[in-house]
Amino acid sequence: MSNTLLTTTDLSISYGAVKAVRGSNLEVKEGEVVALLGPNGAGKSSTLRAIVGLIKSQGAVNFAGQDITGAPTERIVSLGLSLVPEGRRLFPHLTVRENLMLGAPRKAKSDDLFDDLLNRLPILRERLQQVSGTLSGGEQQQVAIARALMSRPKLLLIDEPSLGLAPTIVDAVYQLLSDLRKTGLAMVIVEQEVMRVLKFADRAYAMSTGEIALEGLAADLRTSDEVKKVYLGGAE
Amino acid sequence: MDALISYLVNVISLGGTYALLALGLAVIFSVLGLINFAHGELMTLTGYVLLAGILTGQPFWLAVFVAVIAGGISAALMEFAAFRPVRNASGATLLMTSFAVSMLLQVLFQNGISPRGQAVPVPTWLTTSLSIGNSQISKVQIMSITVGVLALLALKFFFDRSYWGWAIRAAADDFEIVGLMGVKASRLISFAFLLSGLLAGVAGVLWVIQRGSVDPLMGFKPVLAAFIVAVIGGLGSLTGAVAGGFILSAIEIALQTWLPPNVMPYRDAITYTIVVIILSIFPNGIFGKRTQEKV
Repeated sequence: MSNTLLTTTDLSISYGAVKAVRGSNLEVKEGEVVALLGPNGAGKSSTLRAIVGLIKSQGAVNFAGQDITGAPTERIVSLGLSLVPEGRRLFPHLTVRENLMLGAPRKAKSDDLFDDLLNRLPILRERLQQVSGTLSGGEQQQVAIARALMSRPKLLLIDEPSLGLAPTIVDAVYQLLSDLRKTGLAMVIVEQEVMRVLKFADRAYAMSTGEIALEGLAADLRTSDEVKKVYLGGAE
Repeated sequence: MDALISYLVNVISLGGTYALLALGLAVIFSVLGLINFAHGELMTLTGYVLLAGILTGQPFWLAVFVAVIAGGISAALMEFAAFRPVRNASGATLLMTSFAVSMLLQVLFQNGISPRGQAVPVPTWLTTSLSIGNSQISKVQIMSITVGVLALLALKFFFDRSYWGWAIRAAADDFEIVGLMGVKASRLISFAFLLSGLLAGVAGVLWVIQRGSVDPLMGFKPVLAAFIVAVIGGLGSLTGAVAGGFILSAIEIALQTWLPPNVMPYRDAITYTIVVIILSIFPNGIFGKRTQEKV
């Protein structure tokens, strides 16, 4: 459980003249759940996108003992890193089944995994032939997570899993994440619902204007006055 | 009744060719966001390869097969030589590149072969007609409909059942996320050009056989029509490309058939007026992406 899975060293991201992320150092261990917190524009999504190679960055990214800095996204995915992007980003004109099958590597035998995921998410079994753009937000989030799992990742990056979902649906999504954690899957979760994710995660980083402002055990950050001040307006 | 049969035969025959061409454009648009105006020259090239095959005494089916394959390979080479070096450039750069490739090929055909049209001798069995009721339907048209419909069915199967078919449809929805699925972008783009070239090849062969000749500028008009077809259907929508092909064909053939002779000179103007009306009702094309997405 203690081997390091992912590290970013002095990770910086620029959009033209604007520096979105400045020298961030993150670490995720095997099987660990890490929360990445911060207000809008703090650089959380950019960090996740840079790790999987969707945007260019400076600094170094190391995953499972390999330097993946600047590597193409498809290679990073094949090493066992998978991203559930902000806003789900399903292929709306493809069916649920096609979305899931596309998540698996082309030559992989994925039938067992596919069945396993449908057993975890029985609602999707009824929706397999449905075009994914017509699903509800909660169903779309489930498909997005299941699709990211089809590549058998060691580390799942999840960007805003509860965004735009009703509280009961958010419970279901976190139940799914909780089940996945028991399988030993490591996760990095970017989340606006700070207290919920701090109850779920092992450790957390809090970003502010492109820098890591705080880091520590989730349990400690939950009671930290600084977190309360920044994210909860001083109230519990 | 006979007029209707003959109308439908013409619509399906022309519409199938338009659909194949527009699908070729749509596939490239899906992966690169580019309307490839050199698509027409792939048709022309196919025509010359077909002519060379026939003139060197090859069996007709072999000449057709080689011509279609040549379309596919040329498209893949075109991507490698012209579009790959500017892949991350702006859309305008890509568009200019496609015009440059188009003109380069036209000049090569004009100077290397002949600026004038060359007759393509099709086998005599294709030049006869069949009678259905009182209407005569040429075997060329029957072949054109059969090939067009079979090609569209094969494509439907490919897009619905195969990994690369899903990947291209997914690219039409969201190209960036296709990379997250572990699909190698450069391989997907090469594959899309190969497929697009094969479609241009099939359409090119049908076009040349119907006209009975090939000339250096032959590809311009059909590719312009295919562009309009793709826009009517909704740019990037594969279903829309097929639907648009048959819609434009239905409009053109209806005007060609029933417009009074003194209005006939305005045929194209009327066609495009109808296109403008369709687009004013469906600004993103009939199957175009909705701008609002459900969260």
